[in-house]
Amino acid sequence: MKSFRVIPGLPLTLGYTLFYLSALVLIPLAALVIKTTQMTLAQFWDVVTDPIVVASYRLTFTASALAAAVNGVFGLIVAWVLVRYEFPGRRFFDALIDFPFALPTAVAGLTYSSLYLKDGWIGGFGPRVVASVNALAGWAGIAPPLAPDALDWLTFPFTGGTTGIVLVLIFVGLPFVVRTVQPVLLEWDAEFETAARSLGASPWTVFSRVIFPEIFPAWISGFALAFARSIGEYGSVIFIAANIPGKSQIAPMQIVTRLDDFQYAQAAAIGVVLLAFSLIILLAINGVEAFARRQERAA
Amino acid sequence: MAGAPIAKVVSRTGSARPAPPANPLIRRILILLAVAFLTIFIVVPLVNVFVQALSKGVEGYVAVFHPPEAPEGATLTILQKRHFGEGAAQATRTWNSIGMTLSVAAVVLPLNILFGLAAAWATTKFHFRGRTLLTSLIDLPFSVSPVVAGLVFVLLLGRNGIFGDWATHLTWPDVFSLHWIGFANGPWPFAFGRSFTGVIFTPLAIVLASIFVTFPFVARSLTPLMESLGSDEEMAALSLGASGWRTFFKITLPNVKWALLYGVILCAARAFGEFGAVSVVSGHIDANDTMPLRIEKLWNEYNNQAAFTVASVLALLAVVTLVAKTLIDWKTQGNERTSEGVSDA
Amino acid sequence: MTIEIRNISKSYGPSLVLRNVDLKINSGELVALLGPSGSGKTTLLRVIAGMEQADAGSGPVLFDGVDVSGVDLGKRRIGFVFQHYALFKHMSVFENIAFGLRAKPRRERPDEAHIQEKVHSLLDLIQLRNLAHRFPSQLSGGQRQRVALARALAVEPRVLLLDEPFGALDATVRRELRRWLRRLHDTIHVTTIFVTHDQEEALEVSDRVAVMNAGRIEQLASPQEVYEKPANAFVFKFLGNYNLFHGRSGGGSFVRPHDIKIFRNAESAGPDAQPGMVTHIGFGGPVVKVELESDDKTHVDVELPAQAFHDLNLRRGEKVWFALRGQHEFPLDYSI
Repeated sequence: MKSFRVIPGLPLTLGYTLFYLSALVLIPLAALVIKTTQMTLAQFWDVVTDPIVVASYRLTFTASALAAAVNGVFGLIVAWVLVRYEFPGRRFFDALIDFPFALPTAVAGLTYSSLYLKDGWIGGFGPRVVASVNALAGWAGIAPPLAPDALDWLTFPFTGGTTGIVLVLIFVGLPFVVRTVQPVLLEWDAEFETAARSLGASPWTVFSRVIFPEIFPAWISGFALAFARSIGEYGSVIFIAANIPGKSQIAPMQIVTRLDDFQYAQAAAIGVVLLAFSLIILLAINGVEAFARRQERAA
Repeated sequence: MAGAPIAKVVSRTGSARPAPPANPLIRRILILLAVAFLTIFIVVPLVNVFVQALSKGVEGYVAVFHPPEAPEGATLTILQKRHFGEGAAQATRTWNSIGMTLSVAAVVLPLNILFGLAAAWATTKFHFRGRTLLTSLIDLPFSVSPVVAGLVFVLLLGRNGIFGDWATHLTWPDVFSLHWIGFANGPWPFAFGRSFTGVIFTPLAIVLASIFVTFPFVARSLTPLMESLGSDEEMAALSLGASGWRTFFKITLPNVKWALLYGVILCAARAFGEFGAVSVVSGHIDANDTMPLRIEKLWNEYNNQAAFTVASVLALLAVVTLVAKTLIDWKTQGNERTSEGVSDA
Repeated sequence: MTIEIRNISKSYGPSLVLRNVDLKINSGELVALLGPSGSGKTTLLRVIAGMEQADAGSGPVLFDGVDVSGVDLGKRRIGFVFQHYALFKHMSVFENIAFGLRAKPRRERPDEAHIQEKVHSLLDLIQLRNLAHRFPSQLSGGQRQRVALARALAVEPRVLLLDEPFGALDATVRRELRRWLRRLHDTIHVTTIFVTHDQEEALEVSDRVAVMNAGRIEQLASPQEVYEKPANAFVFKFLGNYNLFHGRSGGGSFVRPHDIKIFRNAESAGPDAQPGMVTHIGFGGPVVKVELESDDKTHVDVELPAQAFHDLNLRRGEKVWFALRGQHEFPLDYSI
């Protein structure tokens, strides 16, 4: 039981908290809204429906959705494997999951763009392997066994376009699905599974009918978090994308362009739309999560 | 649930009953898929940072920080002189960026720690209307794109901003240039060597933008723990006559020290690595570059090896962050197990 | 130190937890606040402690005649013991007990030697001398509670307030500790108030019992008096098992199971005897529980000493006679 008078410090702590929040969050965000209202509705509409801007929204959304979907599938597999199976290096890989949180986005963008260049280690996987094998052979004193263009077909050059953006967004959003699903899997009581298996259900049925519905709220929450995170992502994407307006430019980049031209109001308009989208997604998550949990309780 | 989950390395507790044995083929395929996925998306990119940084050998790596100097007394061609000059200039800019990153963090971290402690105390020790709203507001930066985070400060304090006139004429001292001047010029023996004018496009803006994106970490790490610990110990200390401050420092703080450290590490990692927000407010001025901005510039100048070298420092920091997080997780899990005590029998 | 509270009311939002409560406690007394959960007993304790504030319009809380309602928790010189001990996890047993002494302002703080002496004498009092440097996580529940008590006593409080102090402990430890508390109280004579929902505990340990229900004190009297002369049906029902026989005009006869005697024939039973049939026999060591069904289908619980049971040699299904040997008449208040 907490009381205003008994435990000291409410005025001091609440005061400092509110001051900090107002100065650093509320007032700046208000500036965003205010700047937008300085435009007329027509001007606002012109900016946000400009074909280049719309193209940037589309790119942002599509890439984020695809990346979140990949993370949804593989994140689930990773969480499953880490919780249910023992294998050498399990602890190492478990700790690794948090790496995208710890690594600066610029470094992520840098390393991904170099990897997927035409002659990068993944972008030019085939030729690189050939070169390494030949080099090794050279050290061992044997004649190079492979022709220089033997594996030229085995390349994955993905810088510049949507694929590259999706790849780096997969990295950025990777921990979300894994970390939200893991705790649920850990607490999962396998009795239900054993019961289902004893009744003759196949492993897939057991998973899809018994287990997945249980972890669905957490899973969808992780998916939406990855999605929301990717929408705002900037640092890593601008390294790997060609940033050609209308083709390979994400929405945050549009904001930066407008700012560089001192078009503050326009930048604000695009920013407001972006912010609104993020908030809508997050509200949607909370809604779906609450709905799913209510279904669970009713069942 | 808004924002990034505060991630922990999860270990198995004894609560779940063992699952029926899995089909060995499925098991192998799934493990393979998981390991392959993680290797391609995390391990390879991480290793690549160091491979590229060392692509000119160890000398090349070191040269980014300590450029070779022209040999004494040698006559050099113009091209050679320019080469040495560029190397030196680049190294200076790189060191400046390291200094900028560290000094921004040095300002941002204490402020955020204070905020985190205050916010956690205010929201967990007291009931008041609007408590949930306050907690949601603290989570807000996670929903905002870093570019928007920088944008709002430009809109507020930039040339055409709402407080633009006041902000662009504001003069403020560089706290890191405080030095001793003796008593010759008056009673106060300290002075600042440097001041800045304006906010946007100065380090102050970088500090503000960094605070915006990093302040939730400490608060979010402390709040759930303090909520679950309750206030009984604090009540006990107060009933024994301790003052509020003594209670806070001797009772509350020791109980949350690991969560606090956790939050500080996450906050620092984010502060070192923030790119979008800082890029917007820094104005691309070389003197304002933090390490991530430096990386971008080097990359744009096609100086890949140098870019990766600077990136490798941040990557190393990220690895240290991960190791520290893992250690803290093991420590706190161990503490949970021992707090159950012994039986009375 | 005497404690007197007058007309204390406390509400949490819409619900009224304490209703105009008056209470007077004499110096050196050990009083139990007994009642079911929700009766307000813990709230009352916390109001006395200064951890809760009574509603506006309530009367004063007087310590030795002085109103302390405006005095802060830390300045009331009370010793509070929590149900879950609230020991400081990061301090040793010694540091926990010494905490209040070290927290005193510089002027009042005793010197280190004095603190050592005081803490060690308290450790002797609670018989945990050789555990001084252990940490709370290394102690059993009973040991932790004793440390909590010593910690509260270290600052020489004017009153000891215990909030369900043995609630988190095993039954055996609970019984041991309650006897130990009584002996401690007899040694140091500090005015003590403790909250419990266990009537056995309250009756065994305290000088007086305040039976509480829905924010009111139903009866404040010695253990013997509340048990033998309960003020109303609630007190009677709370303090033990009972049978209820409905009488005329809305009243009821409340009888304890051991106040019912069973007879083989009507003559020895007496004029007020009633017929009944044995439906169940439950052996419980020294006491045997016999369940009867009277002719009007009322279920009756009887307890008799094992010897008496063997003398009667009862069996299931047998017809017997039973008589009430000590009932309490109360009006039936169906809101209870």
